[in-house]
Amino acid sequence: MHLLLLGVSHRTAPVELREQVDFARRGVPAALDALAERATLTETVVLSTCNRAEVYAASADPVAAAAELSRFMAAFHGVPGQTLERYVFRLVDHEAAGHLFRVAAGLDSLVVGEPQILGQVKDAYATAAERKRTGPLLNRLFHASFTVGKRVRTQTGLGEGAVSVSYAAVSLAKKIFGDLSGLNVLILGAGEMAKLTAVHLKAQEVRRISVASRTLRSAERLAEEIGGEALEWQHVDTALARSEIVITATGATDPVLTRARVEQAMRKRRDRPLFLIDIALPRDVAPDAGDIEQVFLYNIDDLRTIVNENLARRAAELERAEAIVRHEVAQFDQWLRSRGAVPTVVALRRRFEDIRQAELQRLEGKLSGLPPEAKARVDEITHLIVEKLLLTPTEQLKSVSDEAAAVAYADALNRLFGLTATDAAREPAAEDEDQRASSKPGALS
Amino acid sequence: MHTLVLLLYAAAAVAYAVTFTRRDPRAGKLATALLAAAAVAHTFLIGMARMQAGYMPFVGTTAAVSFFVWLLALAYLYTELTAAERAMGVFITPLLVLLQVIPTIDATAPSARPEVLQSPLFTLHVSAVLFAYASFALACMIGVTYVLLFKEIKAKHLGFFYARLPSLQVLDTMNMRAVTVGWAFLTTGVVIGAAWALTADFRASTDPRAQAMTVMDPKILVALVSWALYSFQLFARRAMRWGARRAAWLSAIGFAVVLMNFLPIGYFLTKSHNF
Repeated sequence: MHLLLLGVSHRTAPVELREQVDFARRGVPAALDALAERATLTETVVLSTCNRAEVYAASADPVAAAAELSRFMAAFHGVPGQTLERYVFRLVDHEAAGHLFRVAAGLDSLVVGEPQILGQVKDAYATAAERKRTGPLLNRLFHASFTVGKRVRTQTGLGEGAVSVSYAAVSLAKKIFGDLSGLNVLILGAGEMAKLTAVHLKAQEVRRISVASRTLRSAERLAEEIGGEALEWQHVDTALARSEIVITATGATDPVLTRARVEQAMRKRRDRPLFLIDIALPRDVAPDAGDIEQVFLYNIDDLRTIVNENLARRAAELERAEAIVRHEVAQFDQWLRSRGAVPTVVALRRRFEDIRQAELQRLEGKLSGLPPEAKARVDEITHLIVEKLLLTPTEQLKSVSDEAAAVAYADALNRLFGLTATDAAREPAAEDEDQRASSKPGALS
Repeated sequence: MHTLVLLLYAAAAVAYAVTFTRRDPRAGKLATALLAAAAVAHTFLIGMARMQAGYMPFVGTTAAVSFFVWLLALAYLYTELTAAERAMGVFITPLLVLLQVIPTIDATAPSARPEVLQSPLFTLHVSAVLFAYASFALACMIGVTYVLLFKEIKAKHLGFFYARLPSLQVLDTMNMRAVTVGWAFLTTGVVIGAAWALTADFRASTDPRAQAMTVMDPKILVALVSWALYSFQLFARRAMRWGARRAAWLSAIGFAVVLMNFLPIGYFLTKSHNF
């Protein structure tokens, strides 16, 4: 059984093509149903996000399956095969697994380390599992990818620290106030950056956003856009006293908030913390206002410094995340290869068991005189001998990690013990994966 | 048994340190489990002593230290569960280990209860005061972390503590809560103690320690000083313009006074509480 991946992502294709192959248009379940009709693909999962459209499949015949996947992709989305050919990537076995693990860890994302992707991978798997389109291979693969995603999240700092100025301001506010709901935000000025930060704060469900600008018109415009209220400029001091977070972004050349003005507001607010975010250039808040007890003043340069530090820290965490991916890929690969040996192992065991049974049958006449306990002992001892004889060969077979060597081993065993495919096919209800692996040779014979 | 308890506390301290530096949630779960195991073993230890003696085993400072460590462990576990926040463990557990060394070394059987302490008020008085001390210990650690985080944010250098501690607001709330609870228990403990010292039976006692039971005894004097300090903190926070950072400092200073009263004064200076 092999693992196949056919996909298009933001790394390989322009947005125009990604839009054309977006599974969301016709729905992932429809795609899964269409894939189910293609017999060479025994298991399938469709991962569809705004940055990628990927189909993971399991098949015994990787060459035929790859062609099948390409045909499906072109037919399902109505995109000419040649066009698609220029932008898709195909990966097999451990490379496909490695790709999914990197995706789940956020390593393949546009913003490296972003956390949403793991949830999307989980959803993709759940949708396929619901429609019974997953089996032993993809079950194992996707659960391993969840592990990778979780380990990278908890054991590295890959997703940590804000990487944009407005988000850095929000995360600072959270570190000062904890929960932001119930807080009042005041915006002075109506610039683009002020708006962006306000939108982020709005998402944290702050209680009220007030906007004041030199002209009431522009304040009203911004207030309307972000769902806040506009203030007349002369009410700024009142608003300052009741707000916890203040964003300043006016075009004024002199500081709008002097130390004295902030101090006056702090008296009224009984020294509850005040977070001043000054994103104007030249600055709107006098720098010495930041010396006041319980006033936290950050200007645009401070925020940029934080963002740069976070970016550097994330880069330093990349290698640790990649190491986790490599480790999990190696584990998955070993499991995948050991599955290749399953039919041979099953056939070998069946052969030994047949011999044992035949010998017991042959000796039936001589054994019949024995008491039942003694007969049971004979059965037990012969069974143990067979198990012991097979123990090492089974372990060795399953641990062969080189595919060529695995084929050579299987070949040698088939010849030495005269194994036939039917030996394996006769295996009665064994565990799910063994049965699947052994059904293949049986179908051939 | 004493050694086992100490070892469990030490193991928990190490696990909390690992959790804090590596931020590994599995280490965090292990740390909590180890601390819970230590607390359970410690409960067993105290329960055994209680059964042996027939009264609550906190006659003498050493026994009181053991009881205090047990209370602090439980109080911390409670805050960890309710606040879903493990960051404080790294500050609390070393204190538990250091203090638990005393009853481990000095593991003599609890001193016999002198006649003067044979009153139901004894258990109430000691329990209330020790619980207050445990709350103040928590407040102290929370206050220290507040100051550390405050400094990082003020200095615009977001580093080690920024990534590991909860928000200033949460720390402030936890600090004031711990101080309020501690203050209430200390008040109760002191009032019970005073009422008890004024009873006719107590005053009639010929025990020299009962004779020394005056406000001028160092143990009682410093206890009143610490009570005044925490009262001031609560007052200043409400009525004066005292912000969260100053309150955090007061929690740290307050517990230093409490600890001084508990150990050096309790062991060497007091003439009224040296049982």
